[in-house]
Amino acid sequence: MRAPEVRGLGLLTGGPTPGEGASVLTLERPDRPGDRFRRATRECLLALAAVDAMLEDGKATREAIAGERTALLYVTAAAYGASNRQFIERRGGVVHFAYTAPAVVPAEVAIEFGVTGPYGILIGGAPATLRAIEQAARLLETGTCDRALVLVVEIFEECADLYTTRRRYHRWPLVETAGCLWLEPGAGDLSFQSSRVVRGSSRAGGGERFAAAPVADLGEWLGRSANGPLELSGRWRGEEARLRWSRVRSHAGDSAA
Amino acid sequence: MTTPERVAIVAAGVVTPIGQDLEAFWSALVTGASGISQIERLEVADLRVQRGGEIKKIGRIKNWRGVPDCRATRLLIAAADDLCAQAAFRPLPLDPTRVAVVVGTALGGVEEGEKALGGDRGRRRLRDALYDAPAWELARWLGARGPVVTVSTACASGATALAVGADLLRSGEADAVVAGGYDALCRFVLRGFNALRSLSRDAVRPFDRRRGGLLLGEAGALGLLMRERDVTGARLGTLRGYGSASDGFHIAAPEPEGRGLERAIRAALADARLTPGDVDFVSAHGTATPLNDRIETAALKRALGPRAYEVPVNSIKGSLGHTMGAAAALEAFMCLLSAQRGLIPPTLNLEEADPECDLDYVPGRARPARPRIMLSTSMGFGGCNGALILEGA
Repeated sequence: MRAPEVRGLGLLTGGPTPGEGASVLTLERPDRPGDRFRRATRECLLALAAVDAMLEDGKATREAIAGERTALLYVTAAAYGASNRQFIERRGGVVHFAYTAPAVVPAEVAIEFGVTGPYGILIGGAPATLRAIEQAARLLETGTCDRALVLVVEIFEECADLYTTRRRYHRWPLVETAGCLWLEPGAGDLSFQSSRVVRGSSRAGGGERFAAAPVADLGEWLGRSANGPLELSGRWRGEEARLRWSRVRSHAGDSAA
Repeated sequence: MTTPERVAIVAAGVVTPIGQDLEAFWSALVTGASGISQIERLEVADLRVQRGGEIKKIGRIKNWRGVPDCRATRLLIAAADDLCAQAAFRPLPLDPTRVAVVVGTALGGVEEGEKALGGDRGRRRLRDALYDAPAWELARWLGARGPVVTVSTACASGATALAVGADLLRSGEADAVVAGGYDALCRFVLRGFNALRSLSRDAVRPFDRRRGGLLLGEAGALGLLMRERDVTGARLGTLRGYGSASDGFHIAAPEPEGRGLERAIRAALADARLTPGDVDFVSAHGTATPLNDRIETAALKRALGPRAYEVPVNSIKGSLGHTMGAAAALEAFMCLLSAQRGLIPPTLNLEEADPECDLDYVPGRARPARPRIMLSTSMGFGGCNGALILEGA
């Protein structure tokens, strides 16, 4: 499959902190009178901030991603644990209910930035993000869209205890992250593989990674102005996925293989 | 432009409020049976509307040993049990690492979260509360060791799951995919829709002038997808195309002109290499909310042109309520059964025409017809629009 090229990447991360809690990202909720169904949750705010950061990285304006030729793929493992908890515990009212599905996070991005093209929402950890990048590459290769955004948001502060039962599988602390990747048709090759780790093998336990991990890895790789092919990998619930990318970014000319 | 690999829907399995296998579901649809009743499993006394499409007892499986006490998971596995019975798919007849699971849901295991936060802090409750937990339980039950994917595009989830399943086959990642959708009624979703005042105290009346909203239902619906060239025996039909588009308009309301749905329909037809003139039947999202049905009608007219007036359009939500993540998959299977059986199920409770909904909505009783190419549409919270193009066997 033809590899997409990275046109921009926005990444916000809480950064690791000691202990078992979640490293929290905070953002002010903008005051938007008369628009009560918008930006109700922290997940949504962080998604918007990640897209803004991506546009800044790509030195582009909002108009560059608006319209029906932009696809939007959202990935999350934590999904809507935080907002759902608020609604269940009656800390959120009617407004909150409209925000109780993962679909509202990309919806906020679509509304705010005028993105009206194909979309998809995958629930899962790092392998789901790698699969979303592969899906984006396919949409670009078939001409279904001109650009694709891969959005990830993982927040934990409100629901860290959901993960305590799976603690041995995850790397702690839980680091909140929001990221958005802007992909356009590129020139290299991309390959995706996934497999299940055999139960009982030494590799089966531990090391599971949330959806934001591959985007963070890519951000770190780009930050080092690394050259050559890139391999991103991640594991979730025993599925291990790998994405091999021969040429990641060419528009800036700094990371071409 | 190359023609995409054709993907067959070999068989389907369902558990619904009107029948707990595909045959019972179909019989109930064509005879106009209703699955709407007083909700009994949950405390609903504080809610404005206390009815829905509730499955009173999941009767298919007698022994739930090894399956979590999670309603969502059990709906999924009951549907899988029906599927496996029809397709002789358990134990798996092929390499388990080549069998994938792709399911769509709007709620995942959220009811388990409700229980956990309500004081039942069992380890399992919290684990099952994650959105992707039921899909992994299904894979475990099937013995499938290929990719396991959960999608959550609100009420379009079932359509997205079928499309992603087809992609896994086309890319060669799997040789067989169990794909579909599910969602269970729970306090969480009933409280939410109750607060939004979207639920009807009357019957669910899609496209009727008096329509006053939806009622929620619960279901599981799964299909067995394979590359058509790999199928040697009978099949239900073919998944020809898929399209999606975002409204980019409002979190809880559809875009007033239905432009997002129109784009999704056009994309699905393009994916299938077909034109509006090829469409013989439309399974509408048809929730019976005043906005949805009017907007959906307008979108169908623009996307299909004059053909919109020439083909039957139905909604089965009057029969079983809005089954959320399962809805689009159920509607897709209904389309394929219509082609196979030569009968289009009626739009239940449609009695008074609405001037703004002026297509042929199959009121009253099932209609003899044998459609070949069918369009199934879905619209979800957050402006998620999906469209499937199906072909009868």
